[in-house]
Amino acid sequence: MADRIKTQIEFLVALQDLDLMRKEIAEVRELGFEVTGEGEQTIDTARQELIAKIKKPLLVNYERLRARYKRAIVPVKGDTCLGCFCRLPTSLITHGRSDMEVLSCENCGRILYWLD
Amino acid sequence: MEKSELLNYFQEPLFISSLSTTTRDAALDELVRCFVNAGMVRNRNIVSEMLRRREALGSTGIGYGIAIPHGRSTAVPDVMIAFGRSDKGIDWEAMDGKPVHLIFLVLAPPQEQNNRYLPILGGLVEVLSDGRQREKLRKIKSFTDLTTLLQS
Repeated sequence: MADRIKTQIEFLVALQDLDLMRKEIAEVRELGFEVTGEGEQTIDTARQELIAKIKKPLLVNYERLRARYKRAIVPVKGDTCLGCFCRLPTSLITHGRSDMEVLSCENCGRILYWLD
Repeated sequence: MEKSELLNYFQEPLFISSLSTTTRDAALDELVRCFVNAGMVRNRNIVSEMLRRREALGSTGIGYGIAIPHGRSTAVPDVMIAFGRSDKGIDWEAMDGKPVHLIFLVLAPPQEQNNRYLPILGGLVEVLSDGRQREKLRKIKSFTDLTTLLQS
């Protein structure tokens, strides 16, 4: 299933999306959506699969940032980090859009993901 | 959330009057492609992956021929709803086992200022619990029909 996701930043984004999903299970269940008992286990299994594909230093950084900020990865919009709202240097912007490198905000340290 | 308020989250590029796909995964992909084509989502794979994982938790087919796939993703810039109608119906493993004809795909970023995601989901469930609204939705052909219905 995860074959279509290729780069380390994409794996990290998918991991954060899973963590968001896990957090919201109770809320969507309250709205009447079906979330089976095995659902949480499914997330845990998917999480393990993703973790196996992420380089260890990146994963450690992700968990460290998640503990500190709740959101370890933040979008970049209009060349601005949407975690701390600081403008990013041009050198970082040029590299970031390619998705081939995992880059962090020089101000807050959060991992950056380019939306455009 | 009021029915008319929901209108703010629909856009014409995210409207498909007749889905060409016939399976759940393909329909999700078709709807996500609308977001990509409209320049609203850059990475289709991440969003499709998230939606598939969400379906694996439990079907978002709420019964009565309706599915509301949904999820938050870091790859999504703002809360948006895509609408797709299937004439033939799609097996969505819905709660009542019936094929799905109306699909509302709700995407949201990890966090938003006004926290509209859950109220939107709740608002949709409320509107769609009305049998007359569902019947009317089954017949719509254009985005204008959809907006007229939500304004009425």
